[in-house]
Amino acid sequence: MSLRTAVLLVALVGIPLTAADPPRIPSSIPDSPGFREFSQRLEEYLNLQKSVPRLRTTKKREEIVARRQALAQKIRETRSDAKQGDIFTPAASEEFRRIIRSVFQGPRGASVRKTIRQGEPSVDRHLTVNSDYPEHLPVTTVPPTLLLRLPQLPPEVAYRIIGHDFVLQDLEARVVVDFIPGALP
Amino acid sequence: MRMIRRRTFLLAALLNRFAWSLRAQDVTLPNKSGSVRFAAIGDMGTGEPAQYQVAQRMLQFHQQFPFTFVLALGDNIYGGKSPAELQKKFEIPYKPLLDAGVQFYAALGNHDDSNERFYKFFNMNGQQYYSYKKGNVHFFALDSNYLDPKQLMWLEKELAAAGATDWKICYFHHPLYSSGAFHGSSTELRVVLEPLFMKYGVQVVLAGHEHVYERVKPQKGIYYFTEGASGELRVNNLKKTDLTAAGFDKDRSFLTVEISGDDLYFQAVSRTGMTVDSGTIRRAGAVQAVAP
Repeated sequence: MSLRTAVLLVALVGIPLTAADPPRIPSSIPDSPGFREFSQRLEEYLNLQKSVPRLRTTKKREEIVARRQALAQKIRETRSDAKQGDIFTPAASEEFRRIIRSVFQGPRGASVRKTIRQGEPSVDRHLTVNSDYPEHLPVTTVPPTLLLRLPQLPPEVAYRIIGHDFVLQDLEARVVVDFIPGALP
Repeated sequence: MRMIRRRTFLLAALLNRFAWSLRAQDVTLPNKSGSVRFAAIGDMGTGEPAQYQVAQRMLQFHQQFPFTFVLALGDNIYGGKSPAELQKKFEIPYKPLLDAGVQFYAALGNHDDSNERFYKFFNMNGQQYYSYKKGNVHFFALDSNYLDPKQLMWLEKELAAAGATDWKICYFHHPLYSSGAFHGSSTELRVVLEPLFMKYGVQVVLAGHEHVYERVKPQKGIYYFTEGASGELRVNNLKKTDLTAAGFDKDRSFLTVEISGDDLYFQAVSRTGMTVDSGTIRRAGAVQAVAP
């Protein structure tokens, strides 16, 4: 299944949840121009990234660090002109902002805010595309009730929350791929 | 780096001289033949003396109760992740256990780097979340930082495939139920996980994150433990509520578990060797906790 198909399979509609019901995994996604753009740009990023050797399991601590650094360096070289908004295009950003806003304003809004605060959230940082994800910064839990409404990502990347910014992170390279400034209320 | 190694070596040497005793009668677990035996630690990867002291106590406990593996409940490596830091925060404190063949199975915490999944000692095989089986027990290690639809679908499939006859134990970093004052219960995670646990008969859930030990009264038939004080500690941070069955927030601790047939025996032990909680869970019945 291509990334685009995977993204298109995820719903962006409200998913009411009670503690008694198993989560309903979304099965479709509205055909939004913003998410189509996001999907396409992300696929391009992943194609570029395929030329770089991935990490593998090892007991050698040095190997993990060296390979991560090599991966990050290669990404920086191959997309040296990357800038904020390349993947979270204006149309895509608008879709993400709309969904984030609706989750925060929805019936689970208070609980979603509490979940984000529980992760020892950081204050706002000055982010730049291609920079390292700050090494000492704890990961803020992305509320699963929000993730259920966003395009699903391949294992190489993940959504992150840093302060009020919504971030796309390359997990192995620990590089900020793109971000939406001030997306979180 | 050389300085860190030297200091760490001196610290380890000092602790080895710090002879704590642990008597066989201090172990309340039955040590039954053929049982599944493990320990659980959380929020341990500080590299500070307290972590080393807990590790030393675990080693002594291991001599009386030879557990074969350890669940690492997240925040396995705080702060820097350089090779020297990984050595100081994991390989040196647990070296005697590793040398004794004890395996560690890690879940990622909010202070962990996701690349720890490639660290062989954590047995994650490059996966953010994974499952494995020991005896009649299925274990499911989740990434509670990022419970996306893919992970939830995977969990449902794995739980369904595990069948109804074995024990099912899930573990991850953020507790679904907690009386800890600092973080409290992770209600957004609960709303997606608890229904799956109930539907597929998960009996026991382990978490860290709160830097205390707590056993929660069964919630909808599921037993919840928090062990987030195996390195870090927040003294007096457990605000006991109606949820709390037992708790300990005065010192660091670790949890040990033995499963034999339909019985799960547990014993939580402090850094100084005091039993802070113990009891038995029968799969079909109620917990029979013993006051420390």
